[in-house]
Amino acid sequence: MTRRLIVWPAAALGVAAAVVLSLAVGTRAVPPSAVLDALLRDGGSPDALVVRSLRLPRTEIGLTAGAALGLAGAALQAVTRNPLADPGVLGLSQGAAAGVVVAIAFGLADGFGGYVWFAFAGAVVAACLVYAVASRGRGGASPVKLALAGTALAAMTAGGTTVVLTSSSATLDQFRFWQVGALSGRDADSVVRMLPFLLVGAVLVTVCAPGLDALALGDDTARALGHRVHLVRGSAALGATLLTAAAVAAAGPIVFVGLVVPHVARRLVKGGHRTLLPLSALLGATLLVLADTAGRVIRPPAEVPAGVMTAVVGVPVLVGLVRRKKEIA
Amino acid sequence: MAVGLLVLLAGVMLASACLGQTVVSPAEVWATLRGTPGPYDLVVGELRVPRIVLGALVGVALGVAGALVQTVTRNPLASPDVIGVGHGAAAATVGALATGLVSAPSALPVVSVGGGLAAAALVYALAWRNGLQPNRFVLTGVGIGVALSAVVQMYLADTELDAAEQLKLWLTGSLNGRGWEQAGPLGAVLVLALPALVWASRAVRPLGLDPETASGLGVRVDRVRLGLTVLGVVLAAAATGAAGPIGFLALTSPQLARRLTRTPHLPLVASGLTGAVVLVAADLVARTLVPPLEIPVGALTALVGGPYLLWLLGRRP
Repeated sequence: MTRRLIVWPAAALGVAAAVVLSLAVGTRAVPPSAVLDALLRDGGSPDALVVRSLRLPRTEIGLTAGAALGLAGAALQAVTRNPLADPGVLGLSQGAAAGVVVAIAFGLADGFGGYVWFAFAGAVVAACLVYAVASRGRGGASPVKLALAGTALAAMTAGGTTVVLTSSSATLDQFRFWQVGALSGRDADSVVRMLPFLLVGAVLVTVCAPGLDALALGDDTARALGHRVHLVRGSAALGATLLTAAAVAAAGPIVFVGLVVPHVARRLVKGGHRTLLPLSALLGATLLVLADTAGRVIRPPAEVPAGVMTAVVGVPVLVGLVRRKKEIA
Repeated sequence: MAVGLLVLLAGVMLASACLGQTVVSPAEVWATLRGTPGPYDLVVGELRVPRIVLGALVGVALGVAGALVQTVTRNPLASPDVIGVGHGAAAATVGALATGLVSAPSALPVVSVGGGLAAAALVYALAWRNGLQPNRFVLTGVGIGVALSAVVQMYLADTELDAAEQLKLWLTGSLNGRGWEQAGPLGAVLVLALPALVWASRAVRPLGLDPETASGLGVRVDRVRLGLTVLGVVLAAAATGAAGPIGFLALTSPQLARRLTRTPHLPLVASGLTGAVVLVAADLVARTLVPPLEIPVGALTALVGGPYLLWLLGRRP
């Protein structure tokens, strides 16, 4: 119990600290007092302008996309019973990206409102394909098979994307900025439009929490405990796909947040998915906002996109996980 | 079987020299090759032939590299791309170009090979723990690959649009506008690697057995694995330096070759020849499918190879 009393306030504090840093740090350093000033009073000073028009939107996107990816990762790891599951590793992000390329290339959509539906369609197709392929054959959906199916799908999509991009340099120009997973220069409306997707996804995943706990004991036990295994798995996967699609449409394919965050969360709290899921959301938001902030100061005057920063953080975690397990089938 | 594949390769190369926007008869191709001055010196002599020769060399290198890596990992799903070579080469090349550290075209293949080797060495080192467990190797490679491609995307977003288009083309793997300049160094690497390949062709057989049996036969499994991996990575990296990362060729060629030759282990020579046939044929399709557009051949191999890998994964044993 005492542990909970520390972890939750600490996680909340972490989010708050990340937000303050994200608003204050950058090419133009703004003191925290001025940040507060800019937020509370509609100041016209250059500081206030930077904070309100540039840093606030990208912080909001970071918070929402990070929370979505954290939740999606935790849900996917439970659904696939695979510690290496991540929207990026499983190919969901690339599927969503392919959907967006189609939207850009054929002029079917402009901006987040349109992208997100295409991203969702792409992610759903990718999710079904990867899981269907990996769960066939001996041993079911093992980590290696899921990762390879995700990789194969990603490479295939990249091939298709290239064919489209070769024929249209205007598409390439739009796509490459979106593709890198940076939070800067995104449409400020994205956050508002992302919220419905985020909410539906979060509710779906949270409702499944008891079922996800039962899945960890094995399908037969879960069934004996009165859970409808396929329903739990299906709705949690759908929720995770919605969350991923919203995050990808808003911020580009950001890798490894969904992988790292649930593992950290599991170390911090005991107990089932009812505690794991919200903590993963908080930690995901913190991680992505901090990654974006760090990326601003690491390589001045240019920025390192948040997606690259999370990859740098994520690889050691992935390698650690892979090394810790004795035999990975 | 090797002879049959050679004949097939010659046929595909000839077809590729004849076909395209301008169709040239085999007789005229032959005349151009013999150096008789004619109307097709530019189209056939300077554009198609060098590109076809390069395609064949890249195919050989990738096919052999794939057979070596799959033997080491004992996994038909592994390929040099999966263990980081393609991503490493791409990240190094794009990074060098974007930061302006290296801009001489002649130095780029070296950068690319260096990047491929470095990435593969990193994956090998990280995956090593009381020996090399194949699945750990593959998973570590996938992880490093994802991270490196994030870095590539970053540089791609940083550069001017013109340069970005060039980089994108290279990143997909393409023979467009390539020729002797790239074929020369790659040919030299292949010739230099010949003695090692002769050794490798003997070493792959015991590794096809399980590790215990192999070491029981007196094979120093870990050393042989390391040697084969290094050789495979060098070949794959050299091919990537010449034509960019061409996806799935190294993965599929050895499996195709094994089905053709019906051998239990992966046949090196047949894998190389199969790789060459597939790449030259794929390039012919890529540049004639939707004229005047020349699709990068890597995009085509990815579109065909991806479903194959998925099928391979989903197959019931």
